[in-house]
Amino acid sequence: MSLEIESMVRYTSPINPAVFPHLTLLLLGIGIFFTAWFFVYEVTSTKLSRDLFKELLLSLVAALFSGFGILFLLLWVGIYV
Amino acid sequence: MPQTAAAKSGNGRNKGTFNNTAGLSTLITVTVLSLAWLAGFASRLFAVIRFESIIHEFDPWFNYRSTAYMVQHGFYNFLNWFDERAWYPLGRIVGGTVYPGLMITSGTIHWILHTLNIPVHIRDICVFLAPVFSGLTAIATYLLTSELWSRGAGLFAACFIAIVPGYSSRSVAGSYDNEGIAIFALQFTYYLWLKSVKSGSVFWSICTALSYFYMVSAWGGYVFIINLIPLHVFVLLIMGRFSQRLFVSYSVFYIVGLLMSMQIPFVGFQPIRTSEHMAASGVFALLMAIGALKYLHSLNPKGQWKQLLILGGLAAAGVVFLAVVGLTYMGVIAPWSGRFYSLWDTAYAKIHIPIIASVSEHQPTTWSSFFFDLHVLVCTFPVGLWYCIKNVNDERVFVSLYALSAVYFAGVMVRLMLTLTPVVCVLSGIAFSILLELVLREDELPVPPVETDDSKNLYDKAGKLKKRTSETVPPVDAGLGMNVRSGTLIAFMILLMLFSVHCTWATSNAYSSPSIVLASYGNDGSRKILDDFREAYGWLSQNTAEDARVMSWWDYGYQIAGMGNRTTLVDNNTWNNSHIALVGKAMASNESAAYEIMTMLDVDYVLVIFGGAIGYSGDDINKFIWMVRIAEGEHPKDIHEADYFTERGEYRVDNEASKTMLNCLMYKLSYYRYDSGGSPPGYDRTRGALPGNRGFKLTYLEEAYTTEHWLVRIYRVKKPDEFNRPRLPLAKRTVPTSNTISKKLDLGGDSMTSKRRKGMLKNKPNIVKGKKAVRLE
Amino acid sequence: MVLPAMAKIRLSFIFYLYIIVKCESINVDTISSDIRFKNVDRTIDISSQLVKITSRITLENIGGTPAKNFLLAVEDHAKNSVAFFGAKDSNNKEIRLVETTVKGYDYVRFWRAELKEPVNAGASATITVESVFTKTLQPYPTAITQQEDQLIKYVGNLFSYSPYYVVSQKTNVVVNTKNVESFTKVKPFSQQDGSIQYGAYANTKPFSEKELVIHYKNNSPFLTVTRVERLIEVSHWGNIAVEEVIEIEHTGAKLKGPFSRYDYQQDHHSGPASVRSYKTLLPASASDVYYRDTNGNISTSNMKVKKDSVELDLRPRYPLFGGWRTHYTLGYNVPSYEYLYQSGNEYLLKMRVIDHIYDDMQVDELVTKIILPEGSTNIKLNLPYAVTRLPDSLHYTYLDTKGRPVISFLKKNIVENHIQDFQLRYTFPRLLMLQEPLLVVGFLYALFLCVIIYVRLDFSIHKADHHHKD
Repeated sequence: MSLEIESMVRYTSPINPAVFPHLTLLLLGIGIFFTAWFFVYEVTSTKLSRDLFKELLLSLVAALFSGFGILFLLLWVGIYV
Repeated sequence: MPQTAAAKSGNGRNKGTFNNTAGLSTLITVTVLSLAWLAGFASRLFAVIRFESIIHEFDPWFNYRSTAYMVQHGFYNFLNWFDERAWYPLGRIVGGTVYPGLMITSGTIHWILHTLNIPVHIRDICVFLAPVFSGLTAIATYLLTSELWSRGAGLFAACFIAIVPGYSSRSVAGSYDNEGIAIFALQFTYYLWLKSVKSGSVFWSICTALSYFYMVSAWGGYVFIINLIPLHVFVLLIMGRFSQRLFVSYSVFYIVGLLMSMQIPFVGFQPIRTSEHMAASGVFALLMAIGALKYLHSLNPKGQWKQLLILGGLAAAGVVFLAVVGLTYMGVIAPWSGRFYSLWDTAYAKIHIPIIASVSEHQPTTWSSFFFDLHVLVCTFPVGLWYCIKNVNDERVFVSLYALSAVYFAGVMVRLMLTLTPVVCVLSGIAFSILLELVLREDELPVPPVETDDSKNLYDKAGKLKKRTSETVPPVDAGLGMNVRSGTLIAFMILLMLFSVHCTWATSNAYSSPSIVLASYGNDGSRKILDDFREAYGWLSQNTAEDARVMSWWDYGYQIAGMGNRTTLVDNNTWNNSHIALVGKAMASNESAAYEIMTMLDVDYVLVIFGGAIGYSGDDINKFIWMVRIAEGEHPKDIHEADYFTERGEYRVDNEASKTMLNCLMYKLSYYRYDSGGSPPGYDRTRGALPGNRGFKLTYLEEAYTTEHWLVRIYRVKKPDEFNRPRLPLAKRTVPTSNTISKKLDLGGDSMTSKRRKGMLKNKPNIVKGKKAVRLE
Repeated sequence: MVLPAMAKIRLSFIFYLYIIVKCESINVDTISSDIRFKNVDRTIDISSQLVKITSRITLENIGGTPAKNFLLAVEDHAKNSVAFFGAKDSNNKEIRLVETTVKGYDYVRFWRAELKEPVNAGASATITVESVFTKTLQPYPTAITQQEDQLIKYVGNLFSYSPYYVVSQKTNVVVNTKNVESFTKVKPFSQQDGSIQYGAYANTKPFSEKELVIHYKNNSPFLTVTRVERLIEVSHWGNIAVEEVIEIEHTGAKLKGPFSRYDYQQDHHSGPASVRSYKTLLPASASDVYYRDTNGNISTSNMKVKKDSVELDLRPRYPLFGGWRTHYTLGYNVPSYEYLYQSGNEYLLKMRVIDHIYDDMQVDELVTKIILPEGSTNIKLNLPYAVTRLPDSLHYTYLDTKGRPVISFLKKNIVENHIQDFQLRYTFPRLLMLQEPLLVVGFLYALFLCVIIYVRLDFSIHKADHHHKD
């Protein structure tokens, strides 16, 4: 009970809801691109030419972008997690 | 994916460059398939976008209700569920009379999502299940077609099946029915079957059996599989294409599939007790016999074994056939069911089983509906079929048989259009693939990925122009002239474009009506929603006693149970014809006779659908003649169809209608105090007539609720103490209109012929496909 | 992390209960003879389904010492139907009321009004007491046909019920109709259109009662919300979702005999006692409003966005006649900046305990649930009036791992006067917001890892497979 309402500020989202659609499209686009790259790499490379580090890096980037993209997609469609 | 690519390389096409571009081709395959999935999903969402996420029509309501029950009470309670809310006073054992695959599928999805803390309502899962499965069907079709021909053809077929109206008619969002998942199971089983015939591996055969098991759990149409696969085997045997691979795959599939299919409570012992399944066992026995003979042959390859083999095979076939016939005569095996006969003789149902004939989707298919459901594919699939027969191998025999049998069945019943659609897509995919291959043959560019990309460009126009120019320019020195080629190409692109336009249009306009929410459009294009069904069911669920029994025609049984949550007498699971006939008799009798039946059945409320005020054609008066026919079938002494027609054999409701018609319960309940509906007041807009009997009073029933547009009318059956008022003398109760009926005598028409006459509707109800409106001839 | 918070909540809950119990048991007052009511001006509004009594009391201290508090009372037969009881002083400021008992008057319900400024000896003060009673108006006859008007019988007290001597009092009963079948006639009285005046009556003794019966036409909607479940879900991504599950019953005179659509359509005044639609006011910032029931959308509703509110014209699927029920779900989103305040990691949610459902509403039971973001701790709830706290629970939804804390409480017998704000304080570390996206990222990455591993495993099978085919 230390704080009074007068001393508090109104809370707004760290990211403006108006940019959710743009963020979704951007992040998901990049994410899908990397995912596709990853899978194409997996399919084309052979046992000899396969590089674990490249795979891990590609998948990490893909996961990061897609993950945030999916989050903003959820927020965009109205599922406020 | 890479395995299939490698496996296909022997398909008569130069694939030297293929391996280098494996990445690209996989990428394109995946992209095309996911776009097909997306397009298939999106094109089925019209109803959700126009209305809302809601379960459609009739049967889906039962499926939804039982799925919700299963989710709530668990699987075992579902299997043991005795539904006392249906078929009062008989009840229904749901677990044993239902194909549980659909419920288990959505229940599993629900369970997985909820384990992952995704709180999706079971209704939404049910609504979107069919569109999601359409994507899986596309993939299964792709696999099947690439097994048969090539990956390019597979991609074509996948794109076709994703959007073709013949399939989307049964799988739009909200159409939560067995067919939605069964077509996937069907295609996937066939794919696995081809795979196992090709490889002869026990693994693939067991996969086939598993997939078959899923199909059995999902849809009664599994009988199609269990007859088609034996037919395939049988034809292969006749063609002298017996092989160890065939032997292994069929015997493993048959045994495992048989055992597993018997695990479904609804199927039970049918696979060994009914004629529908006997072909499979017969072929199995035959295969065993031939296998044995072949083995003997291999022991001693010399001598006159060939003749013996043929002779032995024929003898075995004869023995098997006679055994089946004999067992059928002895009663061990049940003979063909009536529904089966109606597949061979289209008039059979009309004479013997009016209840089957009364459903519009059991009518023979018209040519227009072939075109409507398949569009250009109906013209191209014979080409694919021809190529398959021309370059025949084991698998292509199968697809030819599939196509021929499906075409026949689709011709018999509108409903079976659904089984034809997948094979048409497969064969058209092959045809288009061949065509494009021909047109683009001299290309230096890798062929398959490009052509598949073109097919996809229907949805993605951006890349098309560029592609086409780059492909059509090089082949100058080919057998076909460049102009011919590019002309053909453009023509077929336009055809495909028209096809996709037609698919979208058909799905949007013909198949995306939830039928429980109606929309009418005003002159200015504004939309008005008629929500009368839910209004009535909502009223029932809130304002009647918990155990109230509602009598209605069977069409509305599932909806009353699903939305109104009240006990019904008959519903869409038409298993008890005499019970339905009793309800039909009550509706067709006069009020006091109906009251006796209703008290006998403990009816509290009567629900009728009346479209006269808004011109809704699928209402009960239009279905009434079927109620009379079904009632007459069981109660020929009390109900006579001819009584409901005018002297001239017309089916009318105005003051020329017959006296019986004007006094029957259905008529009275429909027109009781109906005086609105435009000018003159009381005008019936559906039948375009002024009701012949008006201003009457009801003695045994009272109006409990009527919806805003008069579409649903609910009456309460009075208790005996409530109508204990001075009765009118009989003479006064008869309707005055009986005097005005013109008694024109039919020339030479005796009672027998007039009884046979069919009724005529002044305004024929227009049948909306996929809706169980009644067709009258 | 959650556990101490939960324990704290429990503790505060117990403390709360303790206070309630204490109030109930320890408050014993005596009736001071120093106080008397010089004048009582009472208005009884029975034109809606509620009985709203507003009394302007002129209080006089005839004793020698300043009076700091005085008592207000409600008679025996009405004490259980009191939904709201409040008092204001002449400056329109709330006076604190504490429920209390008086020895020897167990059957009477008492409140002790604690004045901010004591009334000095010989001085007087004006106080406005407002009370709302539910379920006091009974339909008579209890069942009517579709076309009949609804007649209501009000049974009350002709005198203002008070533990003190009342020098002079007047009562004005607002019925808002000319159709008064009968009413108690105690002189002096007068009837004007829409209201009946009684008094002035002089010198009534403490606790005096005389039956006042008015039988009149009242076609205003007699709707009772039998249960509301109000769900408030706070998301730190900038949204607060509100969902209300409402069950409504028409508790006026029951419908007797058939319902005729013909009569109902023919004449717009048909079914005078039925309810076709009503208006619900939502906060002005409400968006994405939905109105549905278990069978899906209820398409018959209109939304009007006004300056200070969003007005929903809700039409149930069918008109509500006496004894008919309906239920629905109403939901909407509001942006977080309207109701959520922040200072560092401390947050304060200030929202209404219950919102407007329809004018003159009457709610039997309210359950409000507040779902806070996952990881909120130190939850403290501050309510404007006493409620029953329900045990806290956890709620699992999208991308949750250990569940979101749910605060819920229950309150019975609610009217419009209860539309007041609660305050909920909690602590939420901002970094926790990253948990949800990282969860998705982790999941996807695990999938990719599976592919990476599968590709390596696949090789041996692949070869065998190849062999088989060729």
